[in-house]
Amino acid sequence: MSMHARDKPAVQVAKPIALHTVTIVIGAFVLIPILYGVLGGFKTNQQLSTNPIGLPDPWVPSNYTDVLASGSFWLQLWNSVFIAVATTVITVGVAALAAFVFARFAFRGRELVFTIFASGLMFPFAVAILPLFILLRFFGLLNNPLGVILPQAAFGLALTIIILRQFFRSIPGEIEEAAILDGCTPFGFFWRILLPMARPALATVSVLAMVSSWNNFMLPLVVFNDPGLWTLPVGVQQFQGQFSADTARILAYVVLAMVPALAFYSIAERQLIGGLTAGATKG
Amino acid sequence: MSFSRRGVLSVAAAALFLAGCGSSGSETPQGGGGSGAAQEKVTIEWWHIQNIEPMKPVWDQLAKDYMAAHPNVTINITALENEAFKAKMTTVAQSGESPDIYQTWGGGVLKQQADAGIAKDITADVASWIDTITPAASAAYKLDGKVYGIPYDIGMVGFWYNKALFAKAGIEGTPATWGEFIDDVKKLKAAGITPLSLAGKAKWPGHYYWAYLAMRIGGLPALKEASVSKSFENPDFIAAGQKLKELSDLQPFQKGFLGAPYDTPEGQAATMGNAKAAMELMGQWAPNVQRDTSKDLGDDLGFFPFPSVEGGKGAGTDAFGGGGGFAVGGDAPPEAVDFLKFITSADSVRKTVGTGVILPVVKGVEDAVTDPRGKMVADSLAQATDFQLYLDQAYPPAVGAQVNDSVAELIAGTKSPEEVVKAITEVAQSE
Amino acid sequence: MTSPPAPPRVRSRHATASSPRDPAAAGESPAARRRRNWVTIILFLLPAIVLFGLLVLAPIALAMYSSFFKWNGFGLVPTNFIGFENFTRMLNDKIVIGDLWRGLSLIGFSLLIQLPLSLAIALLLNQKMRGRAVYRLIFFAPYVLSEVITAVLFTMILSPGRGLANELLGLIGISESTFLSEPDTVMYALFIVMTWKYFGFHMILYLAGRQSIPNELIEAAQIDGAGAWKTFRHVTLPLLGPTIRITIFLSVIYTVQLFDLVYVLTGGGPVHASETLGVTMYEFGFRRFQVGYASAISVVMFLLSLIFALGYQRFVMRRDTEGAITNMRAAR
Repeated sequence: MSMHARDKPAVQVAKPIALHTVTIVIGAFVLIPILYGVLGGFKTNQQLSTNPIGLPDPWVPSNYTDVLASGSFWLQLWNSVFIAVATTVITVGVAALAAFVFARFAFRGRELVFTIFASGLMFPFAVAILPLFILLRFFGLLNNPLGVILPQAAFGLALTIIILRQFFRSIPGEIEEAAILDGCTPFGFFWRILLPMARPALATVSVLAMVSSWNNFMLPLVVFNDPGLWTLPVGVQQFQGQFSADTARILAYVVLAMVPALAFYSIAERQLIGGLTAGATKG
Repeated sequence: MSFSRRGVLSVAAAALFLAGCGSSGSETPQGGGGSGAAQEKVTIEWWHIQNIEPMKPVWDQLAKDYMAAHPNVTINITALENEAFKAKMTTVAQSGESPDIYQTWGGGVLKQQADAGIAKDITADVASWIDTITPAASAAYKLDGKVYGIPYDIGMVGFWYNKALFAKAGIEGTPATWGEFIDDVKKLKAAGITPLSLAGKAKWPGHYYWAYLAMRIGGLPALKEASVSKSFENPDFIAAGQKLKELSDLQPFQKGFLGAPYDTPEGQAATMGNAKAAMELMGQWAPNVQRDTSKDLGDDLGFFPFPSVEGGKGAGTDAFGGGGGFAVGGDAPPEAVDFLKFITSADSVRKTVGTGVILPVVKGVEDAVTDPRGKMVADSLAQATDFQLYLDQAYPPAVGAQVNDSVAELIAGTKSPEEVVKAITEVAQSE
Repeated sequence: MTSPPAPPRVRSRHATASSPRDPAAAGESPAARRRRNWVTIILFLLPAIVLFGLLVLAPIALAMYSSFFKWNGFGLVPTNFIGFENFTRMLNDKIVIGDLWRGLSLIGFSLLIQLPLSLAIALLLNQKMRGRAVYRLIFFAPYVLSEVITAVLFTMILSPGRGLANELLGLIGISESTFLSEPDTVMYALFIVMTWKYFGFHMILYLAGRQSIPNELIEAAQIDGAGAWKTFRHVTLPLLGPTIRITIFLSVIYTVQLFDLVYVLTGGGPVHASETLGVTMYEFGFRRFQVGYASAISVVMFLLSLIFALGYQRFVMRRDTEGAITNMRAAR
């Protein structure tokens, strides 16, 4: 008894300390590379080679200010935002209509059509990139934002339809009946009642579509030859080639390119994580 | 290339609006423009690879001068890094839309671009002034008797070496034969000096070794013949591979060379510039890239041609290399050719050559070469008995890529000399 | 199977409430109502079908078609039919075979190290501790960065001269190393970067899975005298089964498609030591103008994903479907 009494406080102190130590080590593993980038951007190349891990001395903001002052960074940011928003609107709009039908209508061949859409989850971009390129060339969509937006939307349909259908199904049939008795058309019900109710699910799928568009590299890489259309990932990669000798400036560019994604993540964390877990558990 | 950005965005926005309304999302506005618009206003998209000092500002200035003289012309410059340009250009080639003026090295790569319609036959447009250019410089851009590009630089590949490190290893003079060269490599190794700097990641620098050895052993006609007969399984080429293997077995390259790029602060040029290696096999631009990525070796930097191989069929004076030129896009306006004429004029060439990193392609400007390094290359080139363009440009892209790739594997020790020629032959025959 | 029982025509005249789904059919004939249903169904599905058909299914069909041709990619369709030659060529292509091995080894790494690590961290974060939400936020952060940005950052970190990794190793007495430049080490370096980027993602999934397990179950086991390991082995782990199976599935599919990270970090080198199917396909399709061969590689990627997905769904995940759905409901 007495032994126990003496032990317990020790365990209670030791356990959280061990726990925190481990998590802090992991946290360092995650944060140090990012920190290296942030600090590296404040150094000169000279400092980087003589003092790669220490604090900058002196702090040189010019790498960051140069990038921020250059039009191309903002242009790429705008391109990324525009393409992400357009992709999201199209993906979610088109998928919501389809998911509505899959969830609330019964018709011959429904499951078959749904399965075909759902199997889109297994079609990676990388597989389709070559023929996609050839098709886009045929449609004259190379060097055109639509050449990235539409394929992204098409590839985003599968996951979006699956999640939205699941949600639409969970809305009780009585609500639809009441709406239709009130003289609502199917579209009216969809537009005025279902969509507003589905706001959380819509937020989730929107965030997912946004993130995957934001990070897409291969498609904009091959579709956009005009530097004026480049998105941030393509811009970062090209910038690395362009200023290959100027490590500090590349680090500054990389860090600045991270900021929007991290900011978005801190705002939309709940939707993002909710969406991923929902998406994955349905897989 | 020359469409208005705003136009595209509004088309996109319109399509977006339609899709948002739930109508068909398949509206596909054709193309991104091209629409010539008003006749007077002309925009020229110009892609070059002089993305660093001192050439970048010179091109900028020449474009400005031209625009000042021709107010209706706007020149949009995109300065890309070499690797980025090559990567980008392949998708451009397949997209069928090319910049109006773009970097080319001539040869089989340019030929394929011409076949795809993205490089324009400019024979007639340049007939009146092409004679001002030295035939040696313009040869690579003439294909089947038609002109597809105009050179702005010409040079050759040879060994750049650090005189101080050579002295430290007790080496006097420069090697004239492969045997002497191998001896010098051994002396450098013995003195604790890395003999050679190589960019294994970039791959093209490695192919210079194999190409030169093949030229020295098999002779230049053999390389030309191989591309026609599509067979590289020539004992001389295998012997070239064996010599290269003999070299790489000495482990003469810097640590981590297999992953080293060319022009980054850890790359081949910087290793040379930082005096961490004694030699690099590189073209006329080498001193400039060393300076840009690290330090200028100054008077310590010397140049000697690739040594001859004892008993080989090729002359030790045959040169390998190339320069740079500009091709004109398939649907470029006539002003694009006129601009090329402008930058090839004696006055413009004096400006580019004045940077010390470009050698003249125009007759009568030879005296403008004042840079000692430029002179070294120019002198070697002047003595050249015959000339071979870089193999990765001379051959069609797939073959050239295979040469680079297989030679890289040979140097890394994962392919035998026999497997190298076999792989290249297979690709050549599948073309 | 799920289509509604079509009401017999005879009854249709005086049907007022033919089925619970059609409560408002009062004023009009069911035939008209059905027709309108079909119009609605088609109108609503049309955009999705057009988009999906044109930009997902058609490209995949086109890839399959052109994989039987020798084609340099110019023009709209290939003409030089060569049968299965591209596929037999692949069998002799050391690089493609190597891609498969490298893919397998990455999958092995992921299953043996990355996923167990993520699971351990998830269980750690499931403990009551201060700052848990902050840790979770940080651990997951790399996932939201694009692969390109990650790759460029790590190119710098792993570079031999001024890189962070060498400096840190130097502090503990390990001499300069060139991680990305040696065929022997490049895969480890790649795997570490992948782990940096993705462990947080798997961790989040495990956390969600763990939180859907009622604590009473675990407490009950502990009251029964089971130690921590036994509780984990016999209660937590089996209950996490569905989540674990999903993360394995995602890991494998991701590895088959891996491109961005490798392309920017190593370009597949040195001398193909880190090349993946995606990089090989890109190299042939966009740099060497051998679109037929590249298409054949992408068809193989597609078939690998498809066969794996179908087999996995059929034999491994089948029993999870129900659980997964209830899981989702619980999460709401």
